[in-house]
Formats: sequence, structure tokens, C-alpha cells
Amino acid sequence: MNPVQSLAMLQNALTVGAILFSLGLVGILTRRNLIVMFLAAEMMLQGISVSLVAWSRHHGDWGGHVLVIFVLTVAACEAAVALVFVLQAFSRTGRLDAAAWQSLREATVGRTVDRELPAAGAAPPPFPTLTRAGVQPPGGEHAPLEREHV
Amino acid sequence: MQDLSPATLLVLVPLLPLIGAILTVLLGGRLGGRAHLPAMAGIAGAAVVAILLLAATARDVSPAHGPRAEPIRPVEMIATLWNWASFDDAYTPPPGSPAAAVRSVADATAGRAGGDVRGFSIPVSLRLDPLTATMLTIITSVGLLVAIYSTGYMHGDPGYPRFFALVAMFVFSMSMLVAASNFLLVYVFWEAVGACSYLLIGFWFTKPEAARAAKKAFLVNRVGDFGLAIGVFLLWMTYGTLDFHDTISPQGVIMPGILGQTRLADAAGYAGGAVGTAICLLLLLAACGKSAQLPLHVWLPDAMEGPTPASALIHAATMVTAGIYLVARSAPLFAACPGALTLVSIVGATTALVAALIGTVQNDLKRVLAYSTISQLGYMFASLGTGTLLGFTAAIFHLLTHACFKALLFLGAGSVMHSMGGVIDMRRFGGLRRVMPVTAATFLVGALALAGVAPFAGFFSKDEILAALHAKGWPSAHGEHHAVVATEGPLRLASFATGASFATGAAAHDAVGLDTLDRPETWRLLFWMSLATAGLTAFYTFRAVFMTFTGPTRVPSGAHGHGEHGHESYESPAPMTLPLIVLAVASAAVGWLLFATNWLSHFLSATPSLTAAAVASTAVPHAFHLDLAIQGTLAAAIGIVVAAIGHLGRRSDGPQMERFLGPLQTLFANKFYFDQIYTALVVRPLEALSLVAALVDRHVIDGAVDAIAHVPVAVGGIIRRGQSGLMQRYALAGVMGVLTIVVLLAWQLRG
Repeated sequence: MNPVQSLAMLQNALTVGAILFSLGLVGILTRRNLIVMFLAAEMMLQGISVSLVAWSRHHGDWGGHVLVIFVLTVAACEAAVALVFVLQAFSRTGRLDAAAWQSLREATVGRTVDRELPAAGAAPPPFPTLTRAGVQPPGGEHAPLEREHV
Repeated sequence: MQDLSPATLLVLVPLLPLIGAILTVLLGGRLGGRAHLPAMAGIAGAAVVAILLLAATARDVSPAHGPRAEPIRPVEMIATLWNWASFDDAYTPPPGSPAAAVRSVADATAGRAGGDVRGFSIPVSLRLDPLTATMLTIITSVGLLVAIYSTGYMHGDPGYPRFFALVAMFVFSMSMLVAASNFLLVYVFWEAVGACSYLLIGFWFTKPEAARAAKKAFLVNRVGDFGLAIGVFLLWMTYGTLDFHDTISPQGVIMPGILGQTRLADAAGYAGGAVGTAICLLLLLAACGKSAQLPLHVWLPDAMEGPTPASALIHAATMVTAGIYLVARSAPLFAACPGALTLVSIVGATTALVAALIGTVQNDLKRVLAYSTISQLGYMFASLGTGTLLGFTAAIFHLLTHACFKALLFLGAGSVMHSMGGVIDMRRFGGLRRVMPVTAATFLVGALALAGVAPFAGFFSKDEILAALHAKGWPSAHGEHHAVVATEGPLRLASFATGASFATGAAAHDAVGLDTLDRPETWRLLFWMSLATAGLTAFYTFRAVFMTFTGPTRVPSGAHGHGEHGHESYESPAPMTLPLIVLAVASAAVGWLLFATNWLSHFLSATPSLTAAAVASTAVPHAFHLDLAIQGTLAAAIGIVVAAIGHLGRRSDGPQMERFLGPLQTLFANKFYFDQIYTALVVRPLEALSLVAALVDRHVIDGAVDAIAHVPVAVGGIIRRGQSGLMQRYALAGVMGVLTIVVLLAWQLRG
């Protein structure tokens, strides 16, 4: 592979990495669902991993590859821990909304409301259930098979 | 018997009580009513070892008579345990300074070329010589008797283990004080006994008077301790070492110690003049603090707030003798400064007289004994101040007999107090000899010894002290001219020293005018003062005896008697009466035994400090001074008769005394207004200063600190607004921060 080709490949890979990172960043800044935020953070991590692999390949150095393998390993552990936190947070408040924890703010600062949350103690959000295979779904043909939003 | 060499035994004397104290502290709570066992075992072991050591030392002293009689040579043994601190090049005195000049004397003594740089080392050394052996025996045996007594007296006290731990700790500290062979160690244990005394006076610390008395004792002692600290510094500057004994340096040269045999053999070895006098006066100040001499005596009467056994052990028999020990130990230093030596006697005799006068009007039995202690310590100082061998040995002799009979009197007073339900005011009880026969009989023996009635202990020791003073007042009668010998040392030293300022030291010394005090007239006055004190001593002692034990039996309502054979008995339990009987036998016998055999004086004269030429040359043949004995006995008889007229058979006390003494009675009852004068001159100004300091602290310093504390609060008030509790905001802030850094870096890289 000639240097020009190599540089072009690096550029492509870095672009993909940057796009992944930015998408993740935007996701983390805009979404309030804890699981989605976590997924966005993972996406940022993958963006970085892609650029690490790209640089590593460009320089012909295996260090970056090795580092990415480590990152993946650690990310797997971290995912387990993070999901436990999310689960605990959900069981406390019954919500996956990060803004449900804004009571941790400074006492003198007012509450931030962009959209009112569903009232506490209201009916718990329905959990998605998988339709049993080979069985006629209940509620007829026109009944919605999934929740409108998460 | 390799394991029981004198050195091992010597270490055991302080070590056993220390172990006892530590065990009592560790196990005290678990042992409960048996908490005295470890402490008492430690003290008992120490007492046995001390007596063994006394015997071992006595074997080394050359016999006084017989075919083997020879000149007294010093007996000492040093056990160096470890080196506490060691520096080379600790100090270089500026050339031409007094210290450099004296150093050259020391170098010449040691046969060295000299050199100004001095090392500094503090070996932890214990010494054994006749003085130390005597002191150790007194401390441990009185300590043991007091510990036995305390098991009865302190029975049921919630602080029972604490008391015994403190007593054992005190015995440890005091043994170390008298066994230490280094001025710095002496200082350390000087403070340690002060601390034990503080803790024991304030033993019942919930009682405000006890807490106040403990504080007072500690603070007044600080004044004396300050003198000792400065004195030790000055000793090091002057002699370049703090060791008592000669040491051998790693180079193999003999370093003469301050009281070592090299220096003792050299008549010019001790600094006289201004430096020597300053050292002696500072040591005297220290001794005045610990031994409650004028003007630092005010703490001792108040110290009677502590438990009575503690008063007996510490504030009568042992700790207060530390000052006597210090002066006796430093005898060669004092012998080089006749003026300072005279001042020791003046302080002592004045204290003896003043304290005796105050003692005559006290109504608190323990306070009578407290003033009596001050007075008797004054006697010892008067005796030390004569600077003669007789004076020094008489002081230690009196120290020994006083330890016996004063401990006896205090323990007797404690027995009375114990039975009278804590009442110690002599006006509230009387005629106790019928209900407390053992206490009354032993107290009477102690009183006879204190009053100096033959053949009880006090008679002989007091006679020797009077003889020592008499010999100075009427030298021709005794055929003595020690003044010549005493001044020889400093003169030679001054001529030897080429340093100009040091050579003029003697002149500066004369300017103080202390030397002019050393005249026969002064000593005659001191003799008459001491004789008057002897009469007063007999008076107040028997006043106390008559008020307490004679007349119709009266007991205060709080007393707890127990009926026996139809009539009530208030006698104390056996653990309390047994030490009384032992001490009574000692008080009756020890004076006559030691005087008749002249054993103690001969034994003590082998102490290295007392073999200094200036002291040893004043030795006089052992004699019984019939004329002085008659005068002393007459004084005592007058005192007893006056006391009998006033108080035998329980007569009213107050009006009679007031009519007799007039305004003097007010003066005595107010203790010569010492407390009021100190309150006005020292306490009030210090309180005002403390008030100012407190205000400055509260408003200026605290104000500044508070002002600084407001800064982070204000900053926090601004930053606090960012704490919205929304994760996205925090994440955004982080992203913005990273972006800012990236932009700045890019800017920098481009530029």
C-alpha cells in the first residue's frame, strides 16, 4: 500500500471515528433516557477506538490495536456496572429519565422544567413484551404491537 | 550472683515501681479493690533492693575507727544505661568569654591541649554513693509504709487504682531524681516528681479547692524549675558537661564531670565569682520551689487538699527534700561561693521562723503539719548553708529523722481525719486519746520527735544543726576557720583564668555584696532564730496534740465510730495503724542509734560531693554538745509548757491567743499576707494580661480567620448557581471546557 493510499484510508477511518464520536456526544447531550445516554457514551468510545485503530494501522504500530482490545474489555465490564446503576436508578424512581434525579441540585437553584414528567405514582410504564410466536396477538389486527415512545 | 551486681540492683530500684505503676494502670480496672498489689509489690521490691544497696555501699566506706582507719575516700558507682543524646560540635564559645576561660581550666585539669569546640552528650547514668543510697532507702521505705497505710485510707475510693499508680510513679521519679548522675536527668525527674505531685494534690479533682491547689503548686514550682533550667544551662556553659561523674571520651581522655573525682581533687576546679554565684543562686531558687522555702513556700499548705497519704509521702517526707538533696549534691559548687552559701542559711532560717510563727495559729491539723514541714525544711537549709561537713551531714540526718516523724504525724492526722469523717479542724474534735489510743500514742511519739525532746529522733538531728550553726557563729569556740578554705577556690580560679571578664568576676561578685553576709554576726543571728524556731515548733506541735487528743472527748457528727465493749471506738483499721507503729518506733529510735554510733555522718562523708576539699577540710570530731542540747531542750520545754497552759484540758483557743498576741495574731493567721501580696503583684497583673490576650484572640485573630473563611463562601455562592442537578448541563459544561482547551491549543500551535 502506497503512502497516499494509506493516508486516504486514515482520513476515511478518522472521519468515521469523528462521526461516531459526534453522534455519541450529541446523543448524550440531548437524550434523557439513561440507557440511551449510556449507549451514546459507548458510541463515543467506539469512535475513539476506530481512530486509534486507524492511527495504529497508519503507523504500522500494534500498540493501538492492543489498546483497543483493552478498551473493549474494559467497556464490557463498565457496561455491566453501568447497567446495574441504571437498573437501581429505575427501581428507585420508576423512571429512566435522567432529569428525575435533578432533585440532587443545589437547594437554592430552581427546578428546571422543559417538559413536565409524568406524575409520580402514576401507572408504571408498560414493559415491552415479546409476542408469543405462532399465536394470534390479542386485541385484533389493528391493536398497536409496541409502545409509541420510550 | 552475677545477675545481682550493684549496677543491676541500682537499676531495679526505680524500675520495680515503674513496672508496678504500669501494671496498675493496665490492670487497675480489673483488679478493683486489689489494685494496690502491683504498685505495692514494686515499691516493696524497691525498698528491699535499696536496703541491700545501702549495705553494699556501707561496706565500701572505709571504717571510722580501728586499725584500718584511713582518710575518707569517695565511694561511688556509675551504671550507664544508654546514651540519650550525643552531638559533636555543640557549641563554640567566643574566644575571651568567661566560658572559654573556664573551659581552659577544665582542659588543663584533664591534661588536654584544649580546644574550644564542645561536644554535648546526655548519658542515662545512675549513680550509687552514700547520699544516693540514703535517699533511696528513705524514699522507698517511707513509700512502702505509706502504700500500706493507703490501702486502709483510700479503701473504697473510686480512684483507688489511680492513686496507687501515681504513688508508684512518684517513687519511680523520686528514685531516678536522686540516682541520676547528670544534671539534665535531674531536671527531667525534678519535673516528673512535680507532675506526680500535681496529680496527687488534684487527686479529688472534682473538688474545686483541690484543683486550684494543684494548679497553684504546679505554677509556683514552675518558678523554681525555671531557676533550675537556667542553672543547668549555665552549668553547661561553665563546665562544658552536665555529668556528675568523670567520663572517658572515645579518644580515651578523662572528661571531668561537674562532681567527678578529677574536679573534686582540684581546689581550683569550681567557678566562684559572678558565674559561680549565679549558678548557686539559680539552684537555690529551684530548691526553694521544690522544698517550699521563702518566698516560694505558698504552695505547700494548699497542697494539703490532696489525700493525706499523698501529703505524708510527697509533701512531708520525700519530694520536698529534693531541694535539700540538690543543694547537698551541689555542695562543691556552693562551697566555692560563700555568699550564696550564707544566703542558703538565711533563707532557711527565715523560712523556719516565719513558718513556725504561722503554724502557731493554724486550726487545721494538716496545715499545722504543713507549716511545720516548711519550718523543718528551713532548718535543713540553714544547716546546708553553713557549708561545713557537719552542716551537710546534719541536714541529711535531719532529713532522715524528719521523714520518719513527719510521715508519722501526717499519717496520724490522716487517721484522725479518716475517723472524724473528713473533719480536720482541731476545734471540732478533742479528747481523742480515749477513742483512738493507737493513733494518739504514735502521734505523741511523733510530736516529741518533732519538738526535739530527748531521746526522740528530732532531738539529735536538731542538735547537730544547731551545732553546725553555732560553729559558724562562734568559730573560736570550736577552733575552726573554714572561711579561709572556702574562699581559696574561687580566688585561685580567678587568677588562673586569663579571660578578662572572668577575672573581674570576683569583683562583680563583691559588688553584689553577698560575701559580706558571711560574718559571725550573721551566723549568730541565724543560730538564735533557729533556737527560737525550736521553741515555737514545740509550742505548735503540742498545741495540736493537746487540742486533738486531750480534754473531754468530742467528735463531729459526721464521724463513723463502731461500738466495741460498750463504748465507741474510732480507731482506724490495722493497715493504717501498723505503719503508724513502725514509724513511731523509727522516730523514737533512729535518732539515738544514728547519733550514738555516728554511723550516718561517717557514711555520708564518703559521698563524692562532700569529699571536696572545701567541705571535707571542715570535718570536726564527732561530739555531743551539752550546752546546745540544754539550750534546745530548754526551748522545747518552754514551748511545751506554754502550749500546756494554753490548751491542755481543752481551753478556749481563739480569744486567749488573740489577747496574748494582739495584732500579731492577725498577721500570723493571714500567713504574713504572702498570698495576698502574690495575688496583688503576680496573679492580678497576669489575669489582666490574660484578659487582654483573650480579647485579642477572640476579636483580632479569630476575626481575621473568620474573614478569610467568608471568601470561599462568597465564591461558592456564585458557583452554586451552576448546580442544576441536570446531567446534560454538566456534560455540556465538560464539552465546552474541552472545546475551549482544544481551541486554545490550536491557536497556540498555529501562532
